[in-house]
Amino acid sequence: MHGVMLRSKAAAAALLLVGLVGVEARQAGVQRFDRPQPGARSPRNANYDIDVTLDHAARSLTGRETIRWRNISANPTSELQFHLYWNAWRNLDSTWLRERRLAGDSTPPRADAWGSIDVTRLRVRRPARTDGSFGGIRTNPSFAVQTEGLNGESNTGWIDLTSEQRFLAPDDGNAEDRTVMGVPLPFAVQPQETLDVELAWTGKIPRPFARTGYVDDYYFIAQWFPKLGVLEDRGWNTHQFHRVTEFYSDYGVYDVRITAPREFVVGATGCRASLTPEPPVACAEGIVWLGNNYPQNTHRYWAADVHDFAWTASTRFIDVRRMFEHPGLPRVEMRLLLQPEHAGQETRHFDATAATLRYYGEWFGPYPYNHITIVDPAFQSGSGGMEYPTLFTAGSRLIAPSRVPQPESVTIHEAGHQFWYGIVGSNEFEHAWMDEGLNTFSTARVIDEAGSPDRLALRFFGGFIPWVIEDVRLSRATDGNRLTGYRDNAEADVQATPTFRYWPGTATFITYNKTALWLHTLERHLGWPVLQRIMSTYFDRWKFRHPQPADFFAVVSEVAGRDMSWFFDEAYRSSNVFDYGVQSFTSTRVRLKPDTTSEVRLTPDAVQSASEGTKEPNGYRTVVVVRRFGEAVFPVDVVTTFRDGARVTERWDGRDRRIIYTYNRPSEGLSVEVDPERVLLLDVNYTNNSATLELRAGDASLKWSLKWLVWLQDLMLTYAFFV
Amino acid sequence: MTVPAWRDGLRRVFRAPAVVAGVFAFTLFAALPLALALRGALEAHMGRSLMADAAAEAVNYDWWQEFASQASGLATTFSPAIVGFAATLDNLSSVLDAEPEVLPITAALAAYLVAWTFLSGGILDRLARQRPTRTFGFFGASGVFFWRFLRLSVIAGLVYWFLFSYVHAWLLDEGFRRLTRDVAVERDAFLWRIALYMVFGACLVAANITFDYARIRLVVEDRRSALGALRAALRFVGRHPRTVIGLYALNALVFFVLLGVWSLVAPGAGPVGGLMWVGFAVAQLYVLARIVVKLQFIASQTALFQASMAHAAYTAAPAPVWPESPAVEAIAGVSSTTLR
Repeated sequence: MHGVMLRSKAAAAALLLVGLVGVEARQAGVQRFDRPQPGARSPRNANYDIDVTLDHAARSLTGRETIRWRNISANPTSELQFHLYWNAWRNLDSTWLRERRLAGDSTPPRADAWGSIDVTRLRVRRPARTDGSFGGIRTNPSFAVQTEGLNGESNTGWIDLTSEQRFLAPDDGNAEDRTVMGVPLPFAVQPQETLDVELAWTGKIPRPFARTGYVDDYYFIAQWFPKLGVLEDRGWNTHQFHRVTEFYSDYGVYDVRITAPREFVVGATGCRASLTPEPPVACAEGIVWLGNNYPQNTHRYWAADVHDFAWTASTRFIDVRRMFEHPGLPRVEMRLLLQPEHAGQETRHFDATAATLRYYGEWFGPYPYNHITIVDPAFQSGSGGMEYPTLFTAGSRLIAPSRVPQPESVTIHEAGHQFWYGIVGSNEFEHAWMDEGLNTFSTARVIDEAGSPDRLALRFFGGFIPWVIEDVRLSRATDGNRLTGYRDNAEADVQATPTFRYWPGTATFITYNKTALWLHTLERHLGWPVLQRIMSTYFDRWKFRHPQPADFFAVVSEVAGRDMSWFFDEAYRSSNVFDYGVQSFTSTRVRLKPDTTSEVRLTPDAVQSASEGTKEPNGYRTVVVVRRFGEAVFPVDVVTTFRDGARVTERWDGRDRRIIYTYNRPSEGLSVEVDPERVLLLDVNYTNNSATLELRAGDASLKWSLKWLVWLQDLMLTYAFFV
Repeated sequence: MTVPAWRDGLRRVFRAPAVVAGVFAFTLFAALPLALALRGALEAHMGRSLMADAAAEAVNYDWWQEFASQASGLATTFSPAIVGFAATLDNLSSVLDAEPEVLPITAALAAYLVAWTFLSGGILDRLARQRPTRTFGFFGASGVFFWRFLRLSVIAGLVYWFLFSYVHAWLLDEGFRRLTRDVAVERDAFLWRIALYMVFGACLVAANITFDYARIRLVVEDRRSALGALRAALRFVGRHPRTVIGLYALNALVFFVLLGVWSLVAPGAGPVGGLMWVGFAVAQLYVLARIVVKLQFIASQTALFQASMAHAAYTAAPAPVWPESPAVEAIAGVSSTTLR
């Protein structure tokens, strides 16, 4: 009766929880007015109109931009804050370079590697027009080239604030860091009020840092323009550029004109609206048109409902396009800018991208843009494996065996970021796990579902020569979710700590690996249909917004229909380690009483009295001691198998330090397994999860030591070269 | 003269099966203690776990990584690189890329090379005499030449240390980094790497050839001075560059053919049981072939040297008291050197 009452109460609580949360289908975000603009997917409150010129000889950018920004927070602000990311490589004492040294890389940048950005003009005004159009920033792309922003508006009312700029260091107080610029306003911008901001700047393009910069004639230009931070209800959220974190910004429309030498093929966020001088009508898309004699071309790209803009330029790109089509999902034009030395790998890039668009689309929600650009980065560019809205960099090798998941895994991962980062715009400075972790989990799932290559390859001779180990198959659960890296660094940081405060050397393991592992644990605990609904609900609710961790956890509990906070207390709010294992396993011959052939749970002292040992043995007493070696708690199954094939499954809540199961049965115990389905993928030691009385360790260790013996003989003979 | 010397070397190796078998056994038993130590570590880690089942039947990569994350010292070398042909690539790559080995392996290698240095006298003596020297003669020669070889090894060690510490670092670390840091095409960087390997390899081969002939001259001519043997070796190489390099290239070609064959037949992980032993036997055949090739280098170079030094004055002076230098034996008519 008591149990029935408890179950009833639990069900009632779960229903109440579901009801309460379900009523508020749209959870409050960090900005009160973050609803989409009419006819748009996002609030479009940070809209950029940019003209930039690439000086190939000087390795520099010159640009000007007009931002039409709307305050969508609950409070007025009398300040603007901008990211000037390239100043992370302006001096040795920037926070980024300090943190790189902390991570173990103390090599100072070479003399010509530095990058920087300087704002040469900054002025603001309150726009006079209130008709909803964006001045020079158009809601639809015009194929005519725009020469200046703010078309049709008077050029009056500007207030020059160039001299007011100052550098802020909200995270560490580092006076040498110039990656955040603040500008006080002479007036307060009220909630929902719009402001025009005009900036001019020059940028020294770095040699590659943090996946941006140049090598030879290849440019990957990211985080390159003065970009507004995010004004939340609680104030500006504008972090300095850190070694282990990425970015955070508001959604808007980007209308960007890139002027580059005409021999450069350019790719960028969004779709190309025009090329000036315009090619002949007959000139097909994707063909580099070199039919004019102008020294430079201006490429105009337009993107809506995105929160960043990156571009690339190279004289060597092979420009290939293919259409993604799948029933029930929108068509997407896939554009691949491929390095010539990777010719022949087009299909691998396209197939991986298509698999991402398909499975993420089916599981979480459709990809909303009609284009996506895959950039195959140049060697030594350091720009591989990075995501930007509607554009990402993959990464392949000259010798890329078909049975090894490169470039597939990186392509799927970065394409997947279009969903977890691009569409769901979490704060990567503070909660990087919300995009990287979710995406690592999703990537592994797609790789598994799509049947991508799964063999391990080792690389020799400076990393140029791969050798496929046919015997080693990479698994989604452990390799895809990167258990090894987590295992070695499980206690490095509490995941709830803001990401930019993680220890730089181990941040990735907590951000990527741990999240993927606990998500997969949730998948196995709740079932994929439930987790899929969780993730699609979260995706739908938070697309084009800025969710917080609590928002994700709330969706989990809501969709699962039960309070899952206990799980996040362990996995997210602590650095406790999960480790369940078999402490001891014995099965001894005993004389059993007729009524003792049953499963009983006993204390160790009571075990002796469970049988009578005075007569001929007629059965076995099998004793299993299971222990929680780690601090973290999770319910686990304990399965004991007997020699007659019988299996007994126990469900242990896992809370105590240990539990003892005693079985008096006619058959001898054979083996015991804790968590045999490996639901708890966060368990850092799975070898101790089982024990058997039929030992195979001798056979296995013999086999592997013989393999190793041959390796050592080979090594000795290799060194015999010297004598 | 290159091909006849190569053929004669092969004949000498095949007519010295005890040497081949002895070196094979020596290599096996030198590696065995560490393999047993590793086996103990593997067995201890698996304990009574069911993970051992999968590890016994094939590759249990989950267990492998779990083992690796707690491994230290010797056990850290237990990686997927030990499977099949990857082991050979791993070893060649680690030498060419000057990757340090863990301390127990370094110690084992040092002991192995010292033992090789000891046995080299007997091996060279046996291959030069072209007749069985029996155990007493073999180890007698080993003992006689050990200290001379050791002195030569000090010089060789210094040369190789210089090559790996400075030339390698200059070419393949700093040089490669500088040459390729602005290279946007991997193929170009790869070609640079190959070119630098060739330059470094040429330095290694030059040193290797010189020290090989110095050892040969120490034995064949019963020289006492390592420095004198080294100078003599340089003179010999300088006077016969084409045949010396041609013979070395021919031997190297055989070595690479062997690696090619091994890459095709090297057994993978496989299950325990009969197949495990078949795989081990195949691997031991490969080890045996590597030893034959190594001896073939020595024997063919000895044959070339003996065939090239046609004047009588190069022999050592003392009367042929056993063990005696093969050159002296040849003069005394103890054995017949048929090489022309």
